[in-house]
Amino acid sequence: MTPEWLAIQSFQRNQDLLNAINTLSIHTKLGRRGHTDVDRTESTAQAREILASFLKNLAQVVDQAEQTGSGPLLGVDPRLRQLAGDFSRARQGARFCSRLFREPLSDTVDLLTSTEPTDQQALVESLSELRTLIEEHVQTDVVQILEDF
Amino acid sequence: MLSGILRQSNLDLLREINRLSSVLATVSAPTELVTYQDMVSEACRYLRGLILQNLQYLDLSRDDILDDILSQTQSVTAVFRLYNQRIASVLLRYRPSDRLCLRIIGWLHAQHARTRDIPAGLDDGEFGVWPEPRVPLIYFMPSSGQHGLLYLPLFFHEFGHLLYACHREEMDALVRDLQAEIAALLEPIFQRDGLPAHPDTELRNHIVERWYEWAQELFCDAVGLTIGGPCFANAFSMYLRMGGRGKFYLPREQLELSEHPVAWLRIRLIAERARQVNLVEADRLESEWDQIAARMQIVEDHCGFYERRFLPSIRKAIDDMLTEGSPCKFSADDVSPHRWNAKSSSPVHLLNTAWSVFLNDPGGYAGWEEQAIATFLQ
Repeated sequence: MTPEWLAIQSFQRNQDLLNAINTLSIHTKLGRRGHTDVDRTESTAQAREILASFLKNLAQVVDQAEQTGSGPLLGVDPRLRQLAGDFSRARQGARFCSRLFREPLSDTVDLLTSTEPTDQQALVESLSELRTLIEEHVQTDVVQILEDF
Repeated sequence: MLSGILRQSNLDLLREINRLSSVLATVSAPTELVTYQDMVSEACRYLRGLILQNLQYLDLSRDDILDDILSQTQSVTAVFRLYNQRIASVLLRYRPSDRLCLRIIGWLHAQHARTRDIPAGLDDGEFGVWPEPRVPLIYFMPSSGQHGLLYLPLFFHEFGHLLYACHREEMDALVRDLQAEIAALLEPIFQRDGLPAHPDTELRNHIVERWYEWAQELFCDAVGLTIGGPCFANAFSMYLRMGGRGKFYLPREQLELSEHPVAWLRIRLIAERARQVNLVEADRLESEWDQIAARMQIVEDHCGFYERRFLPSIRKAIDDMLTEGSPCKFSADDVSPHRWNAKSSSPVHLLNTAWSVFLNDPGGYAGWEEQAIATFLQ
């Protein structure tokens, strides 16, 4: 079982990520249809920063896991370790097929700021699948820190 | 229609948030909880903003963003439940007797530049903390302990988790080095020669990965001792030593899942560190645990999760983490036999005096404690 001090940190990190994904996804979709979402410029920039930082961090953990093979992951909190494991397994499976799961993570970081229509379509697909992964992952924290009904 | 469902749920959430805000506005928070209350109110305003944003997006009648609005509504619901069920209850359950704990916690936070502006509250429960600076911080303590002085030093351990969170990147790097050293110590010789993986590889991974949490717990014990000195060691020992066999020994399968090293090992490491700063309590506490273990016929065995050869690496990692976290250190005055003085002494001196009075005169302790608390809260 995860200690509560880890669960609350993981819960907050994942809610921040979900907020960033939803903000950027809506902004990108509206922008592609010519709808200017000017009121959200600041929150969209912040969402890009949060996601870029997360993806770089995730890339480091995934790289470490690939380098160590069957060895332990060092200096990584158990919840992030589990998320990285979920991500790696998802990459090997057929369930997710967006660029996030098919190309190096650095590609998705580049997508965050691209204005190319094809990249923006790829970004929307990647964000949608990342959201699914995180929504499944965050349930463990929700169950631990909130009463289940 | 999904958009209709989402509009209804967002309006319901908005109503719930407004209701909670109204209830919280009627709470007359004590000085110690004013910034906590402000942070909760700000969070309610933020959540309200997200709901209004969802409603604006729904007004666009765009089918392609409904999955985003659905996820956002679910996320806001989860965060609101956190506030509604757990964080706001700190304010709604407030009792005047909370001021004792809140004063100690407030003093603790004020001692460090990184924690000075982080508000904190108190709730009932096993000792613990939610060390996430982006949400109002909650310390947990069992109910009876909140009314006395003896177990307040255990907050110093919990404060260690906050220090870790405030220095996460550097702390994680130090823990990574410790895990690497333990992994190297556990690596069998033929593995190092490049031969096939040992069948115990999985167990070794469990041990090494388990040390992520254990290193933080041992750091927090060291923070407790650094801040409180003898009062922390006494409180820690007294609180845990009658916790049963599991405080002395856990089988391997349970250690693989355990958030903490067994308490007996923690006592050994606390005693070792206490000796380094010449605290006379070290031998007594360790001996008390040894006596209990002997009577229960428990032989010290950590099933490979701890071995004596890990000790130099653990000691160095914890020392480096203390340097990074830089908790305040108890002073000579804080352990002085001179009685605590409300005007000139620190809370740490009060807590050390409490343990001194309790251990020397348990019968007279209750009367002394009542008066000391009243003086402290004046």
